[in-house]
Amino acid sequence: MLNWRNVSLILHREVRDQLRDRRTLFMVAVLPLLLYPALGLGMMQLTVLFREQPRTVVVLGADNLPQVPALVEHDRFAVGWFPESSGATAAARLVVITDQPGSAERVAAQSKGLNAPLLLARAQAVRDVLPRDEHRAGELFGNSGLQAVVIVPPDFARSLASVRQQLEKNQEGAGVDANYARPEVVFSKADEKSHITYNRVMDVLEKWEGAIRESWLKLARLDPKLTTPVMPRQIDVALDEQISASIWSKLFPALLIIMSVTGAFYPAIDLVAGEKERGTMETLLICPATRTEIVLGKFFTVMVFSCATALLNLASMGMTGKHIAGMMPSGALSQARDVGFPPFSALAWIVLLLIPLAALFSALCLALATFARSSKEGQYYLTPLLMVTLGLTMFCLSPTVELTPQFSVLPVVGVALLLKGLLLSPIHAGALYVYVGPVLVTSLGYSALALWWAIDQFKREEVLFREGERFELNLWVRHLLRDKEPVPSFSEAAFCFVTIMLLQFFAMGFLKGRLSPNAADDASLMLKVMLVQQLAIIACPALMMGLMLTTSVRNTFRMHWPDWKLLTVACVLPFVIHPLSVELLSRLQWFFGELPPEIVKPMAAMSDANLPLWFVLLTFAVAPAFCEEIAFRGFMLSGLARRGRLALAIGLSSVAFGVMHMIPQQVFNASLLGLVLGTLAIRSNSLLPCIAFHFINNALGVIHGRFGEKLLELPGVKTLVMIDGESLRYRWPTLVACVVIALPLLAWLFRPLYQRPNPDAAPNTSESSPRDQRFALGTTQDPENADLLVKSHD
Amino acid sequence: MIHVERLTKSFNDLRRGSVSAVDQVSFDVQPGEIFGLLGPNGAGKTTCLRILSTVLRPTGGRATIAGYDVATHPAEVRARIGFMSGNTGIYDRMTAWELVEYYGRLYGMPEERLQQRLDEVFTTLQMQDFRDALGAKMSTGMKQKVSIARTIIHDPPVMIFDEPTSGLDVLVARALLKTIASLKALGKCIIFSTHIMREVEKLCDRVAIIHKGRILASGSVAELEQRYGQSDLEELFFELISKHEHDEFSVSARHDEFSMSARHDESSVAVRHDGTVPKC
Repeated sequence: MLNWRNVSLILHREVRDQLRDRRTLFMVAVLPLLLYPALGLGMMQLTVLFREQPRTVVVLGADNLPQVPALVEHDRFAVGWFPESSGATAAARLVVITDQPGSAERVAAQSKGLNAPLLLARAQAVRDVLPRDEHRAGELFGNSGLQAVVIVPPDFARSLASVRQQLEKNQEGAGVDANYARPEVVFSKADEKSHITYNRVMDVLEKWEGAIRESWLKLARLDPKLTTPVMPRQIDVALDEQISASIWSKLFPALLIIMSVTGAFYPAIDLVAGEKERGTMETLLICPATRTEIVLGKFFTVMVFSCATALLNLASMGMTGKHIAGMMPSGALSQARDVGFPPFSALAWIVLLLIPLAALFSALCLALATFARSSKEGQYYLTPLLMVTLGLTMFCLSPTVELTPQFSVLPVVGVALLLKGLLLSPIHAGALYVYVGPVLVTSLGYSALALWWAIDQFKREEVLFREGERFELNLWVRHLLRDKEPVPSFSEAAFCFVTIMLLQFFAMGFLKGRLSPNAADDASLMLKVMLVQQLAIIACPALMMGLMLTTSVRNTFRMHWPDWKLLTVACVLPFVIHPLSVELLSRLQWFFGELPPEIVKPMAAMSDANLPLWFVLLTFAVAPAFCEEIAFRGFMLSGLARRGRLALAIGLSSVAFGVMHMIPQQVFNASLLGLVLGTLAIRSNSLLPCIAFHFINNALGVIHGRFGEKLLELPGVKTLVMIDGESLRYRWPTLVACVVIALPLLAWLFRPLYQRPNPDAAPNTSESSPRDQRFALGTTQDPENADLLVKSHD
Repeated sequence: MIHVERLTKSFNDLRRGSVSAVDQVSFDVQPGEIFGLLGPNGAGKTTCLRILSTVLRPTGGRATIAGYDVATHPAEVRARIGFMSGNTGIYDRMTAWELVEYYGRLYGMPEERLQQRLDEVFTTLQMQDFRDALGAKMSTGMKQKVSIARTIIHDPPVMIFDEPTSGLDVLVARALLKTIASLKALGKCIIFSTHIMREVEKLCDRVAIIHKGRILASGSVAELEQRYGQSDLEELFFELISKHEHDEFSVSARHDEFSMSARHDESSVAVRHDGTVPKC
């Protein structure tokens, strides 16, 4: 059906149009070619200009320091106590003020802007307060501008001399008394400068101490190496290409993601919002090309620019980085004399993985830009996408984050982590190749979904022809309350979901603080909290919105009597689905990994024999069955299904239902169950089958956890179930039986929702069950729905 | 050629609730005829023509163009119409020739025929001297010519002009009307919407006066003048519209009263919605 000639025509025109646009050319080609060399130049200039500020340390009781070896010489720490390579310069970067007469004045004269006498006085004040009141000393230090203060105790030199004398006399260490007061270094960890100064002073003091220790050991006729029995020699075997691979693996994935989204950003806005703004959109819409063809043409254009931007940036940055690394005299890159380019295979991976990435961003940008009436508005809508992408990129940059099965199926993250791994060790990437398939397939899947969304947006006239009406909150609230309809709208359903998620998020932080005590009676309290959570966070918002925003609570919450067939199926299905889902989840254990402890605890409560069974069932089965069904199959599904796209509504509501469960295992399981529940709700137009299904399913979970092991004691059960580790699993005969029963039931349930009726038939004279008809009748009260229902028949 | 039957388009408005921009509009247009849609701004002309060009979907009624339903066969309809309105702009970064050529290709014209037709159209519309000028550099008159060239390049049997003269100076407008008249002579089926009476009098074989989404009267200008006993189209137009406003006001007053009483007794709503007219 698709006319690819039109797609190609539109693609060619748009690409040519973009190339004639100076702004796009600048963003895509000129900027990357200029940016990195300019940044590199700037960086080199900065390194030349960069002078590290000298740090100041005050030494109190300098008179008590020994003469040999001297710690302080000419108002500096002696050069010998710094590393050999940078002794003099390092010494100059640490200004020392002592309390010896004239020291402060000399320092003040040498380094302008440093009020040495004042610092000395403040240091003395801190010293005086310190033994009595450490808090006060902290306040004084914080306000003083001091960075570090070394307090040498009285008689320190004498104590050292005394030890030395004893050693000289005894010629061995035994019987020497080294129990004397040590110096103190005062600093503040809260102050970065103070911390740095402290570290430098400590390095100096350690070196100085080492010299004293060595002389003492010699006097005691001991080998100085005795004090370092373990200290290993460091052998760094990093090869040059490995160092460069490590650098590229940090830079390239991040840059690839950021640049492919940037590259899609501006063309997408120009191609859709810009076209609306310039008034050429309608011209295009009236040509024979279908909307799908138009979107595809534009999508490929955006993708071309996204890929081009990313690759040009990568190339330019790679060249510049290599060039700079070669010129840099010191710094992080200096370990690698020659930063080589990644091998060809790595470059091929970059190109391959860029395609799904660019496709995803292009489709998302296009869909979001479709909402906008002008380029300016488009930038507002697309900025959140940019922010989310930046957040994901930062996450992937973290060295501890590595590709796992779960990450591999996430959008953007999977691609970024795979690329990171492949660039890091192109030769030893064997283990990563397993992920190439899943990453590519899921990424392309996400791109396809995003593209479908973009096409769908483009077909909606309220999106394409949005009027520039000024938004007034007052007017909008009045409109919501005045123009109420029997069931909620799509956006009201979405709003309900967001509200529930936000409430859950805040409740989580709130409850965490309260529930941390590890007392044993915690379990009962936890269940009560969960019960309240179900009622307050999930059921309440949905019920309130249903009452306030719709005219028919009965239709919104599907308070109808269901077809007995559906009710029976809803009661039978959980018994066969539960063993299958237990099996599926345990088979997917490798994918999801271990459950986090916050979840294990409530799960353990499910099988806690000390809690009364009715209470556990109330919390885990009755409350979710009512509360979650009211929210998800009641309010949300009614709203999502109002546009008449029932399959989409069921899909969205089950994803929402899954996401609400937060934990990956449960998200997966709940999404699948959500499909069944949603279909039950739509087919029966009643909440009752859903509540029954949900209750039985959860109750089976409780019974499975609580009585699983006891079940084994029954005669003949061992052929059906077994114990695997701590949990009960079902043997294959049980599973086969479940599949045999579940499949036909599910097939019957998931049969096409509406059969194609006679095209001339009225919208509400559709197929089969009277319940379906009632659903159709229930929503044809408003003309919009009637139309959409007709559409769904088509 | 064009058959419109009880066409309705309603949408939700923040201020007014559900609004019908086009309300049960019906008319027919034959080949070789220019049909005028005359109405003030916001009368629903553009919405109606957008439905005919398949850009918007009707919420009720049906419309067929050259035998194809606009709702079910939009691609076939689009291939058979030329559409031009104030909202169909031209690309800034494309030359006149490129633009018309691009649309010609989108209409699926064979390359040889397209080049021949391009030359023909550019010559008749006297556009050869700015064929390589970019859209951004063109004057309003030039842009309008490019739009016409785009509209007629594929030689469609049906043409729709939605307020094509708005914003044009007298000379350009006159030339445009001349072009449209010449298209009629070629046997095209043309809809022409405007709010300017003289254009209708000059150009249209038949006219429909549209206000607030409804057609108040239709027929040839002479017929209308005779039917309503007015010798001046402008006076006739004004009279029809003020009469409609008056009628609507009294209906809406009655409706308000009805909804007030409905609010008091919700159970009665269903009964009254069924059609029993509440007593006033």
